[in-house]
Amino acid sequence: MSTITIEHLARVEGHGGITVELQGDAVEEVRFDVFEGPRLIEPLLKGRRYDEVAPIVSRICSICSAAHTVTSLKATESAFGIRVSPQTELLRELLFRGESIESHALHIFLLAVPDYLNYPSAIALAADKPAAVLLGLRLKKLGNTMQETVGGRAVHPVNPVLGGFGKAPSLDQLIALRTGLLQAAADSDAVIDLMAGLPAADFCRSETSYAALRSPNLDSYYAGDEVMVASSGNRAIVPAADYRSLTNEETVAHSHAKHSTFRGSPFMVGSLARLTVNPRRLTGKLAVAMKRLKLSLPADNPMDNNKAQAIELVNDVERSLEIIEQLLREGVKDERAMPVNPRAGQGVAITEAPRGLLIHSYKYDAEGRIEAADIITPTALNAASMEQHFRRAVEQSAERDEAALTRRLQMIARAYDPCISCSVHLVRHR
Amino acid sequence: MSKPTVGIFGLTGCAGDQLVILNCEDQLLDLVSLVDIRDFLMASSENQTDSALDIALVEGAVLTARDAATLRAVRKRSKLLVALGTCAVWGGVAAMNRGADSDGDRAELLDQVYGEAGRRFDSLPAQALHELVPVDFNITGCPIEKDHFLAGIAALLNGDLPVYPEYPVCTECRMRENNCLLIERGLPCCGPITAAGCDARCPDLRIPCVGCRGPSAGSNAQSLLEVMEEKGVSRPQVVARLRTFAPGGAS
Repeated sequence: MSTITIEHLARVEGHGGITVELQGDAVEEVRFDVFEGPRLIEPLLKGRRYDEVAPIVSRICSICSAAHTVTSLKATESAFGIRVSPQTELLRELLFRGESIESHALHIFLLAVPDYLNYPSAIALAADKPAAVLLGLRLKKLGNTMQETVGGRAVHPVNPVLGGFGKAPSLDQLIALRTGLLQAAADSDAVIDLMAGLPAADFCRSETSYAALRSPNLDSYYAGDEVMVASSGNRAIVPAADYRSLTNEETVAHSHAKHSTFRGSPFMVGSLARLTVNPRRLTGKLAVAMKRLKLSLPADNPMDNNKAQAIELVNDVERSLEIIEQLLREGVKDERAMPVNPRAGQGVAITEAPRGLLIHSYKYDAEGRIEAADIITPTALNAASMEQHFRRAVEQSAERDEAALTRRLQMIARAYDPCISCSVHLVRHR
Repeated sequence: MSKPTVGIFGLTGCAGDQLVILNCEDQLLDLVSLVDIRDFLMASSENQTDSALDIALVEGAVLTARDAATLRAVRKRSKLLVALGTCAVWGGVAAMNRGADSDGDRAELLDQVYGEAGRRFDSLPAQALHELVPVDFNITGCPIEKDHFLAGIAALLNGDLPVYPEYPVCTECRMRENNCLLIERGLPCCGPITAAGCDARCPDLRIPCVGCRGPSAGSNAQSLLEVMEEKGVSRPQVVARLRTFAPGGAS
């Protein structure tokens, strides 16, 4: 028996590794090991008052902190029956788009592209190809500026509160954002050019199921009450209230994350899943970009998630411009957040964080204190699918050279864009 | 003069302080030309994990034996060790119930989240860095402020140590001429005892300070407790608020 061990995954957020055990040429076992320390955020929430919850859960993960914050607020609002204004909905979506632009630019340019071009880091890449890195940094900065403008801070936003925002951004701030977004729209072709020019990464073919929030309109991230699980020809709908059918977790000895399957099969969440479940917006410029990237859906190569992120990056910029135009047209009101009247009950919210489905579910007592909290993150949902793809990659490789296999496994892990801090904060054991 | 060698490390946390470093988009390429980054796992797949370091920047709290071992090893190979962010400086949100969270209770919490499997995990009550090793200086914040990080590096490059504000958020809030959320609106604002440096970001957005930067120097938590009680905020609620980010600091 031989073992391939990747002790510590680099260029991902958090602490995790990969172990593959081989018996001759056959793969005995594949493990995605998570050794991020358990911070036990969910039980620590018990007894906390409704207004303290979002700032605490935001700290689960920095890269997805806007998604955690807003999803938390939505779950509490659902428990208390609070409806937010149309302006709040628009600003929240803009915040999500900003986070997605930042996160995808960080992942594509700083973490993933160095793999394809054989560099250990974006810093090393910048010495030879400064234009590519500067393009990524420019987009990343735009995403951060959007989060600062709407959320009050790029990491762990403070401005979103129950029922709305502390203060809405000013027209001047929105006009400045529009300038940045127009520049980014002009950069879109360069993003697709760069991705289209990367060497193909084709070493893991596998029929894959995808799960994403099904959007009532064309824009999926933020609003939606049901999840679609799509696998070769089959489509299943899971209403928000039944989210537990997506998370038949089992705790596994090697990992602080739990593994999720739907009807016994692993599924993938994230950019590729969103495009697969909500393909209607993929027209015009996006359809052309898909063709250039040779991306067809449903994809059978997990590495295509990087391409899907590039498509989303272009789409996020376009959609953000639409939102800003609408806000400028309608004017931004200096609204106060909706009043909060706590009551006993349960609230569930499902959104799309940059890495995929994010679910917050809270139970409150009559005074508005948390009785139970359940938080399910994209990286936890992806863990089983990631292991399946590690296995396929090893099985499909004629290569048994450890260095080559190690590189491929790391590339697959990074294509999932795992956020390991998130993955630890999981579900109560049943 | 050769460039100072630097390592950037994350223990258990949200990686937000490392993200703030990567968020210095306008300075990042200059920064990497001024220092020699030897070890930065979040950004690079080639790291010199044994090399001696002039400066180690460490974020996150110690929550596992693995974290503790990493921290001790980093301390050993580094001339200066900088605690980056509220978790590293004060313990952060994972430490919020510490005290109540004795070893026995922790086993129970693990049980709640992971079932029996939780007992197999490598898990310790959250600790700040200074509880295990000497720390040369702190850059606090949840997350740290970009400007504080850059000013800190600039000071070190010039052979100096950075100076950060010791006064409370209230001072900055007054300078921005905001109405007082605590006195005028009776909201549970932690500004009077929280370290400044954020330019009163939250109260400026009409949102009470949650104390994410940890306590200011010589802060008087008792007095704030009394003021908040006068304003009708219950004592347990105030205590919970004060303990959220810096449980050790607000006692």
